[in-house]
Amino acid sequence: MESASIAAHGHVDDHHHGPPEAHQSARIDRTILGILLFILSEVMLFGAFFAAYFFLRVVADPASWPPEGIELPVLIAGINTCILVSSSFTIHYALEAIKHNNHRGLKLGLTTTWLLGATFLFIQINEYIHIGFTPRDGAFGSIFFSLTGLHGAHVFVGLLLLTFANIRAYRGHFGPEQKDHLGVEVPGIYWHFVDIMWIIVFLAVYII
Amino acid sequence: MTRLPILKMVLAVIVFGTVQSVILLQFNWFGDEASTAAKPIDTLLDVTIIISSFIFAIVCVALGYALIKWRAKPGDESDGLPIHGNTRLEIIWTIIPVIIVLGLAGYSWAVLDDIEKTDSNALHINAYAQQFAWTFGYPEDGNKWSEGELHVPVDRQVIFDLQAQDVIHSFWVPEWRIKKDAVPGLETEVIVTPDKEGTYSLICAELCGLGHTTMRATVVVESEAKYKAWLNKQTTQVPEDILKTTNQYEADQLKKEEQSGGIEGSGVIEQ
Amino acid sequence: MAAAIRQPGWYRGAIGLVLGAAFGFCLVVGLRLLSGLDAFQTEQTGYPQVIVPLITAPFGFLFGFGAFDYWFRWAAGKPTIPEDHSGHGATKWQDYFKFNTDHKVIGTQYVVTTLFFFLIGGLLALLMRAELAQPGTQIVAANTFNGLFSTHAVVMIFLFIIPVFAGLANYVLPLMIGAPDMAFPRLNALSFWLLPIAGIIFLGSFLAPGGSFDAGWTGYAPLSTGAPLGQTFFNIGVQFAGASSIATALNFLVTIITMRAPGMNLWRMPLLVWANLSTSLLVVGATPFVAGAQFMVFFDRILGMNFFNFLEGGDVISYQHIFWFYSHPAVYIMMLPGFGIISEIISTHARKPVFGYRLMALALIGIVVLSYSVWAHHMFVAGMFSWLRVPIMITTMLIAVPTGIKVFSWLGTLFYGKIHTYSTAMLFALAFIITFTVGGISGVMLGMIPIDIHVSDTYFVVAHIHFVLFGGSVFTIFAGIYHWFPKMTGRMYDERLGRIHFWGTLVGTWMTFIPMHWIGMDGMPRRVADYASQYGDWNLLISVSAFVLGAVQLVFLYNMIVSWRFGPKAGPNPWRANSIEWQVSSPPPVFNFDEIPRVVGGPYEYGTPGARHAIMGGEGEGAEVPETKPSTVTVPS
Ligand code: HEA
Ligand code: HEA
Ligand code: CUA
Ligand SMILES: [Cu+2]
Repeated sequence: MESASIAAHGHVDDHHHGPPEAHQSARIDRTILGILLFILSEVMLFGAFFAAYFFLRVVADPASWPPEGIELPVLIAGINTCILVSSSFTIHYALEAIKHNNHRGLKLGLTTTWLLGATFLFIQINEYIHIGFTPRDGAFGSIFFSLTGLHGAHVFVGLLLLTFANIRAYRGHFGPEQKDHLGVEVPGIYWHFVDIMWIIVFLAVYII
Repeated sequence: MTRLPILKMVLAVIVFGTVQSVILLQFNWFGDEASTAAKPIDTLLDVTIIISSFIFAIVCVALGYALIKWRAKPGDESDGLPIHGNTRLEIIWTIIPVIIVLGLAGYSWAVLDDIEKTDSNALHINAYAQQFAWTFGYPEDGNKWSEGELHVPVDRQVIFDLQAQDVIHSFWVPEWRIKKDAVPGLETEVIVTPDKEGTYSLICAELCGLGHTTMRATVVVESEAKYKAWLNKQTTQVPEDILKTTNQYEADQLKKEEQSGGIEGSGVIEQ
Repeated sequence: MAAAIRQPGWYRGAIGLVLGAAFGFCLVVGLRLLSGLDAFQTEQTGYPQVIVPLITAPFGFLFGFGAFDYWFRWAAGKPTIPEDHSGHGATKWQDYFKFNTDHKVIGTQYVVTTLFFFLIGGLLALLMRAELAQPGTQIVAANTFNGLFSTHAVVMIFLFIIPVFAGLANYVLPLMIGAPDMAFPRLNALSFWLLPIAGIIFLGSFLAPGGSFDAGWTGYAPLSTGAPLGQTFFNIGVQFAGASSIATALNFLVTIITMRAPGMNLWRMPLLVWANLSTSLLVVGATPFVAGAQFMVFFDRILGMNFFNFLEGGDVISYQHIFWFYSHPAVYIMMLPGFGIISEIISTHARKPVFGYRLMALALIGIVVLSYSVWAHHMFVAGMFSWLRVPIMITTMLIAVPTGIKVFSWLGTLFYGKIHTYSTAMLFALAFIITFTVGGISGVMLGMIPIDIHVSDTYFVVAHIHFVLFGGSVFTIFAGIYHWFPKMTGRMYDERLGRIHFWGTLVGTWMTFIPMHWIGMDGMPRRVADYASQYGDWNLLISVSAFVLGAVQLVFLYNMIVSWRFGPKAGPNPWRANSIEWQVSSPPPVFNFDEIPRVVGGPYEYGTPGARHAIMGGEGEGAEVPETKPSTVTVPS
C-alpha cells in the first residue's frame, strides 16, 4: 500500500493521512484509564510489602513491636501527614482552576503542591537520619524502611511528574478542555494515590 | 441429519475408561508401603486414577468421534451447522465436574484427617536438617543423638519435630508417603506410624544448595527391643553444629516467652 | 557521524549503555571511597560495583536508543515533534532493530526474540537431560546443574511463554478489535525493549563469580538470600521482565476497553480478546507481587535487611506466600492467551461458531477470580498454617470446572462441524486439548493434599509442569504461530514440514514427559543431578526423547525462516476466517485500516448465510447493512 514512503525517514508525501482516528468505545479517556490501572498495580506492589508486614508482625510474633528501645517520632510523622494531605487539596485546587481557565490559580496550586511534597520528602529524610536505627536492625527495621522508603520513592516520582506539570504550566500550556489539561489531571490522580497510600502506611507503621 | 449416537459414545467411553483404569491399576505407582498412612493414600490415588481415566476417555472419545464423523472432505468449502450452544449441556458439564471435584476434595480431607491423627503415646524425635546432613535427637529416651542414621520402633506412632539450621530442607521417606519441610525459625512436625520393618532412605526433597542431591539419611525401622538396644549405644553428646544456630534461636524464643508471661519448656534440646 | 550520534539509535544507545554503566560504577566506588570503605566489595551477596551498573546501564541504553525522547520533550514543555510516523511500520529488515512503535512490528519483534530464547531455554534443558541420561555425574557438577534448571525455567517462563503471548496478541489484537494501533505505542515499544535486557541479565549471570543463579526459578529464601552474586542478576532481571509484562498488560486493557470498533460490544469480541483481557487483569494484579518478593530478597542480600532472616525476626515462609501469590496466577498468565488462540483456530477450522461463547468468556473470568485464591497449593508441605490447606485444596480443585467448560466447549465446537485438518495450526490445537487434559488432571491430583504430600517436589510435579506448559502453552503457541504466519509474513509455510514438526513434537512430548509421572511417584525427587540407579532406564528414555523433541524444533525453525523468505504468497484470508484481521491485506497496511471497520455481528458466524462480523471501510458505501442476528439452532438430539 502507500505505506512505503512514510516509514523510512519521516518523509511525508501529500497522500499521507496517518492512521485513522480510533473509535472511542468507552467514555473514559485512555490516559486516565491507563493511570488508574497503573495505580492498581502499584497498590498491589504495596500489597506485597503489607503482606510481608503482616507476616513479620503477626505471624512471626515478635516479643514487642516496635522492638524495645525504638521510639517512633509519631508527632513529626503526624505533622508530615498533615502536610501531605493538604497538598492533595492544593492540587485539586490547581485542577479546578485550569478547568475555569484560571492560569494563575493553576500555577499557584501546582507550585504549592510541589513545595508541600518536597517538604514532606525533606522531613522524611531528616527523620531517617535521626531515627536511631537502620534497615539492618531486625525485621522491624527492614519493614519500616521498606514501606516508608517505597512510599518515599513514590513521592519522588510524583514530584517529578509535578515538576513537569509546573514547567509546562509556567510555559503557558494547559487549557480548560479535558484533553488540554490531562498533564495536570494525571499527575493529580497519581498524587492523590500517593497521599492515600501514605495515610495507610502511616497508620500501619506509626499508629497501630 | 442423523441422531447423535450417544449410546455408541457412552459405550466407547466405558470401554476406553475401563481398559485404561485396569492397565493403570496394574502398576504399583507409589512403590512399597511402610506406614499406616500409605494404605489410605494409595487407595485415594487408585480412586483418582479411575476417575481420571474416565474423564480422559470422555475427552478422547469425543474428539475422536468428531474427527471421524465430521472431518471435511478435501475441497469441501461449506460450513458446519451454526450451533451457538445448548444451555442444558452447558449446565451439565458445569455441574458434574463440580460434584466430582467436591467429592474428591471431601475424600481427600477425610484421608488427611486420618493420617494426621496423633496418638497420646506417640514417640517424639527431633530431626535437624542442615546443609547437607540430617541429625536426630531422641529426647524421650535419654537425650541420645545420632547423625545420618535414624532408628524408629515399628508399629508405634512417631512425631518428628523438624528444625532447619540454615535453609529450607524437606523430610521425605517415600515408603511412608509423608513429606514436610524443615523451615528455619519454625517448628514443623511429621506424624507417621511405620508398620513395616526394614531399611529406607530419608530424602531431602527441597532444593537446599550444592549438596541437595546427596542429602540423604538411612532410616531403620525395627522392633522396639532392637531400637532400644541401638539407642543405648548412641551418644548423649550434643553435636556441635546444631548448637550454633539453635541456641541463638532458642534464646530468642525464651525471651519472647518470658515477656509474654509464662515460660514453657523449650522442648527443643533438653539438656 | 555526529548526526548519527545525536539521532536516537544504536550508536547513541551504545554510548548511553557505556555512560550508564560508568555512572553506576563511579557512583558506587565514589561513595564507598568517600565514606572510607574499600573501593570494591566482594562478599558474595554484595558486589555493589557490579549491581548498580547492572541497573543503570540498561537505562542508559534506553535513553540513548530513543525510548524516552518523546517524553522528555513533552516533560520539558517543548513543542513535541509533530508525529511523522517515522517510527512506525517496517519496510526493510533494519526497521525491526529500531525503537519502532508499530504494534505489528513490535509483535514480530516479540515473537522472533522469544523464539530465540525458547531455543536457548531448550538447549539448557538438553544439557540437563544429557546429565540425567545416566545415574552418576556425566557432564556437569551439581552446582552447575542447579544453575541449569534454574535458568532453563526462568528463560522459558519469563522470556518465552509470557512474552510470546504478548507478542502474538500485540500483532493480532488491535487488528481484531478494529484499532489502528495499541493505546500507548511508545510504551508498547518500551515493553518490548525491556525484554532483551532482561534476557541478557539472566544469561549474563553465567559470567558472575559463583555461577548463574541456582536456587530454582522459585528462588526460595533463605537459600536465595545467601546465594552467590548470580542470584542478584535474577532479582534484577525479574524486575525488567515484570515491568515489561505489566506495561503490556496495561496497554492491552486500555486498548480493549477504549478502542474497539463501533458495534463491537463485549459479547462480540473474539475469544482471543477476552483471553487477553483476563490475562492482563492477572498481570496487572499479580505481577507486582513477584516484584515485591524479589525486592525483598534483593534488600536482604544487598542492604542486609532481615525479611527472611529468622534470627533477626524475619519470617521464612512469607517469601513463599508472596511469591506464589504471583506465581500461581502466573501459570494462568501462561495459559489463558493460549485458550484464546485455540478458540479462534478451532472455530475457524471446524467452520462453526464457538460452542457456548458466553460461558467460554465467563469461564475465563472465573479462572481469573479463582486463581487469586489458590496460591498456597504450592505450599501444602511447606509448614504453613495448617488450617489454610483444606480451603486452598477446594478452590484449587474447583479451577478444574471453568477449565473443563473450556475443554468441553471446544469439543462441542467440533460436533456437527466441517473439520479441516490440513493446517498444522489445527493439528496443534486438537492435540492441545488432549495433552492439556492430561496435565490438568495431574494438576488436580497435586491439588489433593494427601497425594501432594507424597509427590510434591518429585518428578511427578516436573511431569505436570511440562504437560501444562509444553503440551499446553507451547502447543498453543505453535498453533498460533502457524495460524497467523500468513498474516504476519504474507506468505504460506510448508504444511508438509509443519506436519513433521507436529508429529515429532506430539510424540516427543509424550515420550519425554509421561515417564516422569511414574519415576516421580516412585520416589525420584526433582532438582537433583544424580539419582538412584533403579530410575536409570526411564531417564535414558526421557533423555533420548528430549533430544528427538529438540531436533524436531529445528524443522520448525527451518520452515519458518525459509517460508518467510520464499513461501508462496498467502493472500489476505487463507483460512476463510471471519475476524477482522483477516479482512485486511497480508501483511496488513501500516495503519491497519483506511477507515475503522464497523462490527455488525458476532465473530464466529460460520454457517449462517450472509452473516458478517464486520463491514470494512469503503465497502458498501452509504448502503445500510443490516445487523447480523445469530441464527439459533440447538443441538438436534
Ligand atoms: C500453564 C501452566 C499451568 C497450568 C495451566 C496449571 C494448572 C493447574 N495446576 Fe499446576 N503448576 C504449574 C503450571 C501450571 N499448572 C507449574 C509451573 C508448577 C510448578 C511450580 C514449581 O514448583 O516449580 C505447578 C504446580 C502445581 C501444584 C503444586 C505441586 C507441588 O509443588 O507440590 C499444584 C497443586 O495443587 C498444581 C495444581 C494445578 C491445577 C489444579 C491446575 C488446573 O488449572 C488444571 C485444570 C484443568 C483440568 C482439570 C483439565 C481439563 C478439565 C476437564 C476435562 C474437566 C473435568 C475434570 C475434572 C472433573 C477433574 N500445580
Ligand atoms: C515453558 C516452560 C518450559 C518448557 C518449554 C520446558 C521444556 C523442557 N524442559 Fe523444563 N522446566 C520448566 C519449564 C519448561 N521446560 C520449569 C518451570 C521447570 C522447573 C524448574 C525448577 O525446578 O526450578 C523445568 C524443569 C525441567 C526439568 C527438571 C529439572 C529438575 O528438577 O532437576 C527437566 C528435566 O528433564 C526439564 C526438561 C525439559 C525438556 C527436555 C524440555 C524440552 O521440551 C525442550 C525441547 C528442546 C528444545 C526446544 C531445544 C531446541 C534447540 C536446539 C535443538 C538447539 C538449537 C539452539 C540454538 C540455535 C541456540 N525441565
Ligand atoms: Cu536439604 Cu535438599
Ligand atoms: Cu499453582
